[in-house]
Amino acid sequence: MQRISRVRQALVMTGVASLMLATSVSAGAAGATAKLNAADAKLVPATYKNMTLQVATDATYAPDESMNGTTMVGFDVDLMKAIATTLGLKINETNVTFSGIILGISSGKYQIGNSSFTDNKAREKQVNFVDYFQAGEGVYAKANSKATFTGLKSFCGMKVAVETGTIEQTDAQTTAKACPKNKKLTILSLSTQTAANLAVSSGQADVGFLDSQIAGYVVSTSNGAFKLIGSAVNVAPYGIATPKTTAGKGLAVAIQAALKTLVANGVYGAILKKWGVSAGALPVSKIVLNGATS
Amino acid sequence: MATNGDATLKVVPVRHPGRWVGVGVALLFIAMLVHTLFSRVPRGQGSCHPAAGVATCWRFSWNDVGQYITTSTILHGLLLTLELTPLAMIIGIVLGVILAVMRLSPNRLLSSTAWSYTWFFRGTPVFVQLYFWLYIALLYPTFTIGIPFLHYVPFTHVAFWHLDSNSIFNPFKAAVVALGLNEAAYMSEIARSGLIAVDEGQVEAATAIGMTRGQTLRLVVLPQAMRVIIPPTGNEVISMLKTSSLASAIGVTELLGASANIYNANYKIMALLIVASLWYLLVTTVLSIGQFYLERRFAKGALRTPPPTPIQRLRRDLKGVLEKFTVGHRQIVEVGQ
Repeated sequence: MQRISRVRQALVMTGVASLMLATSVSAGAAGATAKLNAADAKLVPATYKNMTLQVATDATYAPDESMNGTTMVGFDVDLMKAIATTLGLKINETNVTFSGIILGISSGKYQIGNSSFTDNKAREKQVNFVDYFQAGEGVYAKANSKATFTGLKSFCGMKVAVETGTIEQTDAQTTAKACPKNKKLTILSLSTQTAANLAVSSGQADVGFLDSQIAGYVVSTSNGAFKLIGSAVNVAPYGIATPKTTAGKGLAVAIQAALKTLVANGVYGAILKKWGVSAGALPVSKIVLNGATS
Repeated sequence: MATNGDATLKVVPVRHPGRWVGVGVALLFIAMLVHTLFSRVPRGQGSCHPAAGVATCWRFSWNDVGQYITTSTILHGLLLTLELTPLAMIIGIVLGVILAVMRLSPNRLLSSTAWSYTWFFRGTPVFVQLYFWLYIALLYPTFTIGIPFLHYVPFTHVAFWHLDSNSIFNPFKAAVVALGLNEAAYMSEIARSGLIAVDEGQVEAATAIGMTRGQTLRLVVLPQAMRVIIPPTGNEVISMLKTSSLASAIGVTELLGASANIYNANYKIMALLIVASLWYLLVTTVLSIGQFYLERRFAKGALRTPPPTPIQRLRRDLKGVLEKFTVGHRQIVEVGQ
C-alpha cells in the first residue's frame, strides 16, 4: 500500500506541478528565472567558490522537498537552485535522513542543509541559519477521527506520530512530560515523514504532527483520507543551515544577499506561488541570520 | 647445574624472535590506542565547545559519557532492550526447535512447511519484517480468534475474540513478533544441525530397546544435541541483543533509540553512541560468561576433564608466575650454599 500511495502521490504532484508551471508560464510571471548577481557572488568565501557544495535534504516532506522518481523536487529545492545560480555556486543535492543533517554539517560532510529546518536557539549552537520562510506546526488525522487540537496540551491521551529529529518531536516530548498520569501522551517517532504518515493511516497513531504547510499538502493529496484538525501553533522561521565556522558564516551572508535579490526580482514569490506555499513568505526585513526567538 | 657432564655443549631455551617482534608491535599498537582514547583536543575542533575558561576537551567526550551513562532515559532504554531480547529469543528458540523437528519428520508436508517457513523468514530483511508487523493494520484492521473459514457458511459465524490490530501490535509487540519469528528461522537451522549431529547409532539403539520416536527424541537425542546447539544459540542471543536495536526504526525507545533521542536534542552523537556501546558491551560480557558455564555443564558427558574456568585459569597463571620467581630464587640459594 505504501508503494501504491507513493506512485499516486507522485502522479498527483507531477500533475499539480506541471499545471502550476503551465499557468505561471502562460501568465508571463516576471523574473521567473534567477540570474547570476556579481555583487552577491563576491560575498561567497573563497573556500566555497571552487568546490561543489554538498546540500543535504530529507526528501520526504512534500511540497518542500520530495522525490519524484530519482529527482528531488519541491520549493526548497527550487529556491536552492535559484540561490546557487544567483551566487554562481556549484551544488550537489543529496537525500539523507533528517536527524543526521545538522551532525553532518558540523562534521564537515555537508556544506548546506536545506530541509525545512525550524530556526531555533538549540540548533543555532551547531549551525548558522539564514531565515527564508516561516511555518507553524500543524496537526492532521484520519477523516473519521474524533480528535480535536486546541494547543499542545490537547495531545495528552493521544498517540502522536512525528519524524525523528524534528522540532515537533521535541515539542511533543516536552508536552508529554507535562501530561497528567492518566492521560499519557505516546510519541511514535519514525525516521522519515512518510513512515510517520503511514502510522497515522494504519491507525498506529491518532494524529500526525508536522510543519503546517506539509500537513496541508498531505491532506490535500490524500483523496479525503485525512483532514486537518485545529490551527497551526508555534509559527517560527525556517533556516538554510551552513557550518558554524567563519567561512560558513560568510556563506550564510552570501545566501542572505541572494535571497534578498530573489525577493526583489520576484523569483522568490514565483517559486512559493508555484508550490502553493505563499502563506509562509517572509518579508525582506525578516531575512536575517540566526533570527530564532526560542 | 650442568648435569649432562659435557662442558662444551651450551644448553639454552629455544628463542622465538618472530614472537618477540609480534609482541613488540602489539604493545606498540596497544600503547597508541590507549594514548588516542584518552587524548584531548583544543577548543573549536570537532564538537569541542567546553565551558568558559577551559581550553581543551576529551576527544572521546568522556565527561559527557560519564554524565549520560546512568540517566533515566538510557536506563529505561536498557530495560526495554533487556525485555525485548529474551522475549524474542524465547519465541525464536521454541518455534525453532519445533520447526527443526518438523523438518526432520518423514512426513513430506510437515518437512516442506518447515522448509518454506525458514526460506521465507531468512529470505526477507529483518527491517522489512519489522515495518510489516508495525503496519499490519493496513492489511488486517482486526484480528479475530474463532473457527477459520466458518464465516463463509451463513449464520454459523463463531468468534471468540475480536482484537484491534493496532492495540495488539504497538511498536514493542510488533518488534517482539518480528524479531521472534525471524529468529525462529535461524534457530531451526541450528537445532536441525544439533539433531543430525547425534550419531545415528543412538537412534537405532533406542529403537532397538523399544522407545517410541517421541521418547527417543526427548531422552536420547535432544540431550546430546544440546552440546552442539548451545554455542551457536549463545551466539544468537548475543546477536539478538544487538539486532534489537533495529526496533528503534519502528519507534521503540530501546537503548539505541533512547540514546538517539538524546543526541538529536543535544547533538553529542559520539558521546551517546559510546554510552550505548558500553552498555551493550557490558551485557554481552555477562551473557558470554553465562554461555561459558552453560557449555561446561553440557560437556559433562563428553569430556573427561572440562576446560578450566576463567577463575581457575587466572589462579593457575598467578601460581605459575609466582613459582617462576620463587623457584629461581631457591636455585640461586642452593648454588650459593
